[in-house]
Amino acid sequence: MDRNQIAKWLEAPAKMANKYSLHAVYFCTGCGIIEVPPVITSRWDAERFGVIPVATPRQANLFLITGYVSVKTLRAIIRTYEQMYEPKYTVGFGSCPINGGMYWDSYNTIKHLDKYIPIDGWIAGCMPRPEAIFIAVTHLWTLIDKDMANGYTRYRESYRFYRRNQEMALGKLEWPPLFATGNKSVIDERQAVRSQQ
Amino acid sequence: MVTKVMQMILSPVLALVVGVFFLGLARKIMARIQWRYGPPLIQPVIDIIRLFYQKSVSHGRMFDLGIILSLAGSIVVVLFLPFGRICPLAGSGGLLVILYVMLFAPLGIALSGGQGANPNISIGISRKLILGLGYEVPLLLVLLAAMTHYKTISIVEMVSVQQNAGWSITSWPLLLSGVSYFLILPAILGIRPFDVSSAPQEISSGPMVEYGGKYLALATIEHALVLFISIALFVNLFLGGAANPIIFFVKMLVVFVLGVCVNAVFPRFRIEQAVKYLWKWPTLLAFVGLVITLAIRS
Repeated sequence: MDRNQIAKWLEAPAKMANKYSLHAVYFCTGCGIIEVPPVITSRWDAERFGVIPVATPRQANLFLITGYVSVKTLRAIIRTYEQMYEPKYTVGFGSCPINGGMYWDSYNTIKHLDKYIPIDGWIAGCMPRPEAIFIAVTHLWTLIDKDMANGYTRYRESYRFYRRNQEMALGKLEWPPLFATGNKSVIDERQAVRSQQ
Repeated sequence: MVTKVMQMILSPVLALVVGVFFLGLARKIMARIQWRYGPPLIQPVIDIIRLFYQKSVSHGRMFDLGIILSLAGSIVVVLFLPFGRICPLAGSGGLLVILYVMLFAPLGIALSGGQGANPNISIGISRKLILGLGYEVPLLLVLLAAMTHYKTISIVEMVSVQQNAGWSITSWPLLLSGVSYFLILPAILGIRPFDVSSAPQEISSGPMVEYGGKYLALATIEHALVLFISIALFVNLFLGGAANPIIFFVKMLVVFVLGVCVNAVFPRFRIEQAVKYLWKWPTLLAFVGLVITLAIRS
């Protein structure tokens, strides 16, 4: 941990401050949230690394997707992610967001979360231990140092790809696009093709 | 003249440093009480730097102006408060001006939040203003008792009288008023058991729910200044002020640590319980204190 090295602070204050002030959004997406209370309270105390839960996505810059993602939850996840201010980091927690996990053949579960929002890192396991969150945080620090935690820039650059996938999973979305997609929604395109035929 | 201008610049900066230090210390003490290691003391500074570098979205003109209004109100109050011998606006105003301008902080937040159009903000603001109604009554009685006892509204004169005659909390007409002020101190600071307006688990931190980026940074700074103001007022009125800033700071530190211990062990009141409490014990104590002061003085 290089939190006390003043030379690094003077060199890149934004990067250092982003590293050591990770505010996680308080959003219970799945069963993995049960591992978070021990992490933030006396047993493992995430606050000594600057990681605290906050109540609203506006104040947060770390989004933990804890556990399986159903289609209904995906809608809330996307809206929460788009409400967070840049720079923002996303971590998938548990094996379910990675590839569906034990719900690999479920009709109602999203299998690959990184098709819908950009993910900066994964924590594998079912369930991962609370220590795994600290390992993820330290990995996130190295990624931020190397400018590799760039999920939010990827989201901006390939927004058309993500928006298309979101519309494929959820149908027509009731909120406007976050960035200019340069085109109509996928469903409009399909209807246009159909009416031509 | 030059020293006056220097003091005008210095005293808000000093207040800000002390307030932000108190925020960090509060988190550290809370952590140690809960048997955790806790964040470093400079964690609020790291948070504020991070928030200033983050992007943010404005919700309208009033959203920007309200937060600046509340920050400006807090800075003006700081100019009227003696910090040791440092008091840029010593000759003018006094307690009455402080009373008026202290209202700017919650009103600015309320105006700013009103534009956010989030239901949690409306609930938070209504709770904040109701809580304000709760603690303003005992606060007015306490200040009235102090003004009656010293026969002046100038806070600098009160401090200089106390320097010779001893702390006013030890002289017993004002003891009850001092105790009453300490009882309402958590309500003024908005910490537990009176953190109804910014309850994170109930209403997503209330008026702060739409703040992010630089707005939240300004709100944090404003909170630090409010922390400084309410504790400095207590030290000036009841603990005799101080001849130099270091002793003043030590006195503030003692009061603040006591407040944080209250904060750490009490759960949250509901809003009607909070108002019931505030209008019962602190008001009763303040009223009895005022009557005794009047009886002795007349």
